[in-house]
Amino acid sequence: MFFLHELEETIPLHPSYFDKDMSVYISNELHRLVEGKNHGHFFTICVMDSFEVSEARVLPGTGMAEFTVHYRAIVWRPFRGEVCDGVVNNVLPSGFFVQVGPLLCFVSRSAIPSEIKFDGNATPPQFTDNADQVIESGTHIRIKLTGIRSEVQDMFAIATIKEDYLGPLMQ
Amino acid sequence: MASILDQDFPDEEEDDFNPAPEVASDDEELDEKPETVIIDDDAPTRNERSRSRPKDGDDELKDEDKDAIVGFGREEEGEPDADADGEDDERLAEEGAEGAEEEDEEEEEDDEDDDIEGQPSRKRRKKHRRNQFIDVEAEVDEDEDEEPEEDDELPGEEMHPDDLQELPPGADRDDRMHRELDRQRETRDQLDAEQEAARLKERYGRQSRIQGTGTAIVPQRLLLPTTDDPRIWRMRCKPGKEKEVIISLQARIHERASGREPLRIFSAFERSKGAGDPMAGMLYIEARRVDDVVAAVEGITGVFMSYKPLMIPLEEMPDLLKVTKDKQLAQGMYVRIKRGLYQSDLAQVDELEDNGADVVVRLVPRLDYGLNDDANGPMEAALPNGQKRKRPLTQRPPPRLFSEVEARKKHSKYLQKASGMGSHWTYQGKDYVDGFLLENYKINGLQTEDVNPTLEEVTRFATSGGEDGTENLDLAALAATLKTNSGNEFLPGDKVEVVRGEQKGVNGLSIEVYGDVVKIKVAPDHGDLSGNVISIPIRDLRKLFKEGDHVKVIGGSKYTDEVGMVVRTRDDRVTLLTDAEQKEITVFSKDLREATDSGGAAADSKYDLSDLVQMDASTVGIVVRVDRESLRVLDQSGENRILLPSNISNKIEKRRNAVATDRDGNEMKNDDTVKEVGGEQKTGRVLHLHRNFVFCQNRERSENSGVWVGRHSSVLVVNAKGGKPQSTGPDLTKMNPALKQNGGRAPSPMPPPQSKGRDRLIGKTVKIKTGPMKGFIGIVKDASGEEAKVELHAKNKIVPVKKDMLVLIDPKDGKVIQGGIQSLSMGRAPPPGGMAVPGRTPGYAGMGGRTPAYAAAGGRTPAYAAAGGGRTPAWKQDAGARTPGYGGGQTAYGGGGQTAYGGSTSYGGGTSYGGGGSVWGGGGGQSTWNPNNGGRTPAPSGSKTPAYHGGLEAPTPGGYASAPTPGGMDATTPGYAQSAPTPGQNYGKTPAYQTPGYAPETPGQWDADDGPKYD
Repeated sequence: MFFLHELEETIPLHPSYFDKDMSVYISNELHRLVEGKNHGHFFTICVMDSFEVSEARVLPGTGMAEFTVHYRAIVWRPFRGEVCDGVVNNVLPSGFFVQVGPLLCFVSRSAIPSEIKFDGNATPPQFTDNADQVIESGTHIRIKLTGIRSEVQDMFAIATIKEDYLGPLMQ
Repeated sequence: MASILDQDFPDEEEDDFNPAPEVASDDEELDEKPETVIIDDDAPTRNERSRSRPKDGDDELKDEDKDAIVGFGREEEGEPDADADGEDDERLAEEGAEGAEEEDEEEEEDDEDDDIEGQPSRKRRKKHRRNQFIDVEAEVDEDEDEEPEEDDELPGEEMHPDDLQELPPGADRDDRMHRELDRQRETRDQLDAEQEAARLKERYGRQSRIQGTGTAIVPQRLLLPTTDDPRIWRMRCKPGKEKEVIISLQARIHERASGREPLRIFSAFERSKGAGDPMAGMLYIEARRVDDVVAAVEGITGVFMSYKPLMIPLEEMPDLLKVTKDKQLAQGMYVRIKRGLYQSDLAQVDELEDNGADVVVRLVPRLDYGLNDDANGPMEAALPNGQKRKRPLTQRPPPRLFSEVEARKKHSKYLQKASGMGSHWTYQGKDYVDGFLLENYKINGLQTEDVNPTLEEVTRFATSGGEDGTENLDLAALAATLKTNSGNEFLPGDKVEVVRGEQKGVNGLSIEVYGDVVKIKVAPDHGDLSGNVISIPIRDLRKLFKEGDHVKVIGGSKYTDEVGMVVRTRDDRVTLLTDAEQKEITVFSKDLREATDSGGAAADSKYDLSDLVQMDASTVGIVVRVDRESLRVLDQSGENRILLPSNISNKIEKRRNAVATDRDGNEMKNDDTVKEVGGEQKTGRVLHLHRNFVFCQNRERSENSGVWVGRHSSVLVVNAKGGKPQSTGPDLTKMNPALKQNGGRAPSPMPPPQSKGRDRLIGKTVKIKTGPMKGFIGIVKDASGEEAKVELHAKNKIVPVKKDMLVLIDPKDGKVIQGGIQSLSMGRAPPPGGMAVPGRTPGYAGMGGRTPAYAAAGGRTPAYAAAGGGRTPAWKQDAGARTPGYGGGQTAYGGGGQTAYGGSTSYGGGTSYGGGGSVWGGGGGQSTWNPNNGGRTPAPSGSKTPAYHGGLEAPTPGGYASAPTPGGMDATTPGYAQSAPTPGQNYGKTPAYQTPGYAPETPGQWDADDGPKYD
C-alpha cells in the first residue's frame, strides 16, 4: 500500500559543495540516497519535497558536514494479503519468483492452482494449465502476498495465486 | 365404545399437536376387541406415530428402550395410587409426566420414512413385542393400562378448555379427571425425597449395570488372588528358551486336551526380557497342585526338571503379573544390533513377525565378498563337535550396500538372483534387497531403547520418498524413533493447536509449560472458550504455523538452524522456503520455532567456506556451503556434491604464492582477476590454484555461492592483484560539483609516459644509500621501472634495489652525483641545478604536472577561483591522483625548462624566476605546498609574480600552469612555444600528451648542457 510518509535522513556533504548552490546539492543527494531504497519495512518510491534542512554539523576529522533533512516521500509498504501485479523473473519446479517493483516474491507450488503444472521441457520452463494460462519468465501476473520478511536493507515475500482473479494477466 | 368414538374423534383431529400415542400403543395389544376403535382413534395422529417408528437398527431399539424405561417409571408412579380408581389416575399422571418426552421423540424421528403409514397397527404390535423383550416390567405396565383404555377418559384430559365446553354431554366426567390429576400431583409431591432417590437409583442403577460399565466399580483388591484360587509355581528352564517352552506347552495342552489325561494347568507364562534379565530362565505355571505342574512340563526340552517347582507366595503373585510397558516396535523404526558382526550397527525394522519375538531388519551389509579369504588356507572345516571354528577376529568390513558386481568377482557361485521385482539377490544364503541385507533377528538381540541414530547412519537408509522429492528421509519413522515426550519442545509463547481430545481444533498461545501439561490461552475466535486458559497434555498438542510465518528449524533434522518462511502446512509437517537458498524443505512442526533473527546456519564444522578439500587422491573440491552435518562441495569437474565431513580426507592449505600460467602464458596468482575464455566468459577472483585447475569466485554469481572452476588453459588474467590503482578516499572527480556541472565528465587521468629504449642507468656506478646494504657500491646491470639490479662490487652478487635507494657516483673518485639517478631514470625530470634542495624538485615538477589537470578542469575551476586558500579537493588529493599528471608535468617542464633553464638566463639571472623563487622558495609557497602535496596551489602566493600575471594574460589554467616556467614567459623559446600554448590553446584536451615527445630529449639535453652543474 502506498503512503505519504514523513521521514528524515542525514546527509553528509563534502566541503567542496559548500557554496551558494549547497541546498541544490543536498536535495540531489537526498534523492540519490533514498529513492528506491528499502527501509526494512517499506520502500521509498519518490521524494515529494524536503521541507526542513537542519543546521550543518561539521564532522571532526573529515571536514564533511552533516545535514539532517526532513522530507516527505511516497513509500510503498507491502502487507500480508495485499494483491499486487508483478513480473515473473524465474521459474523453478518448486514455484516461481515474481518481481513486484522492488520486492521479490516467491510463489510456491502449493500456492499455485493444481491445474497449473510445471513444464520443465518447455523453453523457457513454465507453469501452464495447457490452456491460456502460461507462467514463464516475463509473464505479467497478479499475486496476493501471504508472508513478508523484512531484513535490514531487504524485503522478501511469499505469495499465492490460488484464489479467484489471481494469476497471469491476459495481454 | 360408541361414546368414545363420538367423543374422541373431533378432539383428536383438532388436537393434533398433542396426541396420545401411548394410549393407543399400550392398549392395542391386549385389547384386540377395540382395535378398530383404536385405529380410528389414532387416525389423525398416524403420521406422527408412524414417523416415530424407525424401521430398523439401533435407533429403534433405543427408542424402545426409552419406552420401556418410561413404562417402568410409569408403573411405579402409579403404584401408590393404584387403589381406588387406579387406572384412570394412572393414565392421567402418565400423560402429564410424559407429554413432553413423547413430543421430543416424535420430533427426533420426524424425518423417518413414511412408508409404513398404511399398517400402523402391525407396526405397533411389533414395537410391543420388542418392548417385551427389553423390559418385562413394561409389560406389567401395559397390563395395568388395560383398564384405563376402557375408561376412555383420556383424550378429554388433554383438551383445551374451550374444546371441553363444546363436548357432548357424555364428557362431563372430564371434571372428575381433572380432580384426579390434581390429587395425583398432590400425592406425588408428598413422596419424600428419600423414596424418590431410592426409586431413581433402582431404576438407573440397574440400567447402568446392564450397559456393562459396572465392572469398573469392582475394587482392585477384591480381584486379588485368595487361598481358594490356583497357585503359581516357578520352574527353571534354559535362559532364552522361555518362549519356546511356553509354545511347546501350549501345543501339549492342545494335544492332550481330548485325551485321557488333559493337562490340568490354567496358564503358563514367562517374564524374561532377554539374556541379562533377572527373570531369564524362569517359567511360571498356574495350577491347583504341584503335581499338575510337573506333569505338564515333564519332557519338554529346555526345562530343568532338577529344580523343584517353587510356589510363589500369595502376596507376590500380583507383582508377577504387573505389566511394564515395552516400547512397541513398528515397521520403519530404527534399532541397534546387540551382537555379532553387526554389533551396534543401526538397522531398520522391515517386518515384524506375528509371534512378536522375531523381527526382520534391514541392515547395511558388511561384506568382503571373499576378498580377504586366504585362498591357500585350509578349508574351514567344521570342528568335530559340530561347531564352527571360531575365526580370529579380524577387522570387520566396512558397511557398504550390497554390490552384485563385487559379489560376482569371487563368489559368483554363492550369488543367486531371487525372483521378484527390483534388485533382490540371495548371496551366501542371505537376502539382499536394494543393496540392504534383510536379516531375521530375535527381538532380544536388538536394542530398541536409546537408539539415537545419527543423521549419517540414517541417511544410509534414506530412500527417495515423498511425492515431491523434497524429502528423502522417512521422517515419520525417524520421528517414531526419536520421539520424546518431554515438554521442552514447547515454550511459553508458542502458538499451538490441540489435535486430539475434546478440545480438538482449538488453538491458542501457550503460556505455561509444566511437566507434560501446557496451559494455553485460547485464541479469540473460539466463542465461549476464547481467552480462557485451559490445560492440555503435550501429546495432544502441536505447534501451529501459518503460511508466511518466518520460522527457524531448532532441531531434529539435518536442517537445523535453517531459517525460512512457511509456504505450506500439512498435518504436523511444515514446508518452508529457506532464506539462504530459496529451497523448499519439509520438517516437523515440533522442530520449528518462530524466528526473530535471520541468521543462517552457524555451523560448527572443521571445514570453512571456500576451503580446498581433498576427497580422494584425484579429486579436490572447494567448500561452497557448510551445514551442520554436511558440506556442499564443488569439485574440480564443476560438480556440486553434498558430503559428510567424514567423506573428506583432508584440507589442502592455501598456498600463498602458488603461481600458474594462464592461456597466454601470463603469470596467474591468488587473488588475481581472471576471465574465462569461451563458455560463459565468467570472471572471478582466484581463490585456489590446484594442479591444473583454478577455483575462482565471483560474488555476483549466485550459483555455488559464486564459485566456479576452470582449467588454467581456459582462463586469462584480466587484472593482476593490486594492478588496479587503489583509490583511497572518495572519488573526488565525481564529488566535485564543479566538475560535475561541467559536462559531468571526469577528466581522464593522464597515462604515465612511456619509457622507450634502454634505461640509461644501466652500466652506471651507483651507491646504495639506505637499507641493509647501505654503503655498497655496484654497477647497475639492469633497470626497469622503479627497480634496478645492482651488481655489487664487494660480493659477486646481483641484488635488486629500488632506484630511489640509489645514488649515482662517479666511478673514478666515488663522489656522489646529486640527482644523477633522477636524470638518468626514464621519464624523470632532472632537478634544476640551482634548486639544490631535492624536496623542491618534485614539488616544482609537480607544478607542471598540474598543468593538464587544470587545463582539463576547463580553465579556472570555480573551486580554484573560490578557494582563497586554493584548496580544491583535487589538489588535496595526493600522489595517486597526481601521479599521471606528475609524469606529464615533468616532460612539459622538461620541454620548457630545457630552454629556460638551459639558457639559464632568466633562471640564472633570477629576474623572473628569481622573483618567482622568492615567492616560491620563500617558505610560504613551498612549505605549504610540499607537505600538502599540492594542497595549496602556488597561484595565490605567487599571484604577484610576473609569471602569474603572464599567465593571466591568457586566462587559461594552461597558460597559468606554464607560467611558472619563467623561461617560457620571458623568452619565447621554441620550448616555451611548444609547452605553453599547447595547454593554453586547447585546455579541454589533454595538452600534456603532446609534450612527452620532448621527454627523451630533455634529459639528454640536460646531460649535455648541464653536466657541469652536477659538480
